[in-house]
Amino acid sequence: MASTSPGRIWMMRMAFPFLALILIFFHLLPLDTLPSRWAPPDLLLALALAWSLRRPDFVPAILIGATMLVADMMFQRPPGLFAMLVVLGCEFLKSRVMPHRETAFAAEWLAVAVVICGIVVLNRAILAILAVAQAPLGLTLIQAILTIAAYPLVVVLSQSLLGVRKLSPSEAEVLGSR
Amino acid sequence: MAKDRSQRDDYSTPLRRLLIGLVCLCLAAIFLIWRIDSPRVERFRAQLVDTVVPSMDWAMAPVTGAINLFRDFQSYQRLAEQNRELRSELRQMRAWKEAALQLEQENARLLDLNNVRLDPKLTYITGVVLADSGSPFRQSVILNIGARDGIQDGWAAMDGIGLVGRISGTGQDTSRVILLTDAASAVPAVIQPSGQTALVAGDNTAAPVLDFLESPDLIRPGDRVITSGDGSVFPPGLLIGQVAEDRAGRKRVRLSADYERLEFLRVLRHQGSEAIKEPGALVVPAPDATIPPQRPDIIGPQSGTASSGGGNG
Repeated sequence: MASTSPGRIWMMRMAFPFLALILIFFHLLPLDTLPSRWAPPDLLLALALAWSLRRPDFVPAILIGATMLVADMMFQRPPGLFAMLVVLGCEFLKSRVMPHRETAFAAEWLAVAVVICGIVVLNRAILAILAVAQAPLGLTLIQAILTIAAYPLVVVLSQSLLGVRKLSPSEAEVLGSR
Repeated sequence: MAKDRSQRDDYSTPLRRLLIGLVCLCLAAIFLIWRIDSPRVERFRAQLVDTVVPSMDWAMAPVTGAINLFRDFQSYQRLAEQNRELRSELRQMRAWKEAALQLEQENARLLDLNNVRLDPKLTYITGVVLADSGSPFRQSVILNIGARDGIQDGWAAMDGIGLVGRISGTGQDTSRVILLTDAASAVPAVIQPSGQTALVAGDNTAAPVLDFLESPDLIRPGDRVITSGDGSVFPPGLLIGQVAEDRAGRKRVRLSADYERLEFLRVLRHQGSEAIKEPGALVVPAPDATIPPQRPDIIGPQSGTASSGGGNG
């Protein structure tokens, strides 16, 4: 019952941008100024997707949009586009999660993989239509694959360390009726 | 209770959809504004970086230091081997140092004889690297010097030896340096000794490509690549690196600057070289120049007044 109290929900809503800031901080550390042959997984994206599937009330659309916009700004990406795609992807997953609450993890992973691929493809397509200079295709693919691979790890960490897990039906009743 | 909840969903879902739509619309608008008026949004981005990055600095410096320390431990394992290499290098360097000292003395004597003044405009400001671009797709670093220190867009950033990149985006206290390896970077260069011009274009690899070479047969791996000063973006004569050839046979530049550890960068103050547009503009000052023309008995001061008049105009 404690995980549905308003205080806890607001605390977790604050925790998401805080985690995002920590991730941005570690990305910005000037450790490797040499161009690398591979791209690390986009943990921020994986985190947003995992939390939207587990506790949609922790990550409202506005919060995801604002956080990803800051990340866009800090990482020199075209501002707004990636953030918009992530918001759409997360909302798509949120709308799917309601009907079957108890799904196997494999199905969830597949859905997340589809969403990540969709985000990457749409991102590249829109940038190509608007003739914006793009990152090399190989790096983008590596990043997408690594993000999908890192997703279970993000899920395990956020479940065990931060307690972001799906609500039991009774808790959902409490939350829904309030 | 279940009924209660479904009723609640009935009216909250359209509201939620509306909210999501609004968020997406705002983000799409930001993206379109960026596409239409990029400089303004990029200026905003520079200001945002300017407020965020210096406030992280207190934590960034120790964390970076700790991680680098940890990495150094790995290289300690082959300490003996390194030591031997360094000793042999040091012996070679001693010989070079002797030669350099002799050359320096000779150079100073010759300069003194000719009464040459070195260009006083080409001074530099040194900055510390605060952060990198944070993304594997962009190659840039953020320095702790900005508009407050007089940094302007387009100035050249070097480490002790070679060119590193150019300033692009200045905030009050920070500025971004686009590295030569970034895909958006292209620098006009001259290859010595053949004197061919080319463009050093980054492509997200460690060695940028030499583009627009007229006859690639004339250059060899090991030739020096320096800036040409074309387009008056960079001062001419800054060392970039040496020509190398990759496996596919493309000519690339092995950069002289040490890109593995970029810590301190010096930014060259460069006000742009004077362009002589009309014939005789160097000899006779422009009609609206406020400085009265001097007697043209010495070349030095004459050219000085001409250039200062051009700088004001």
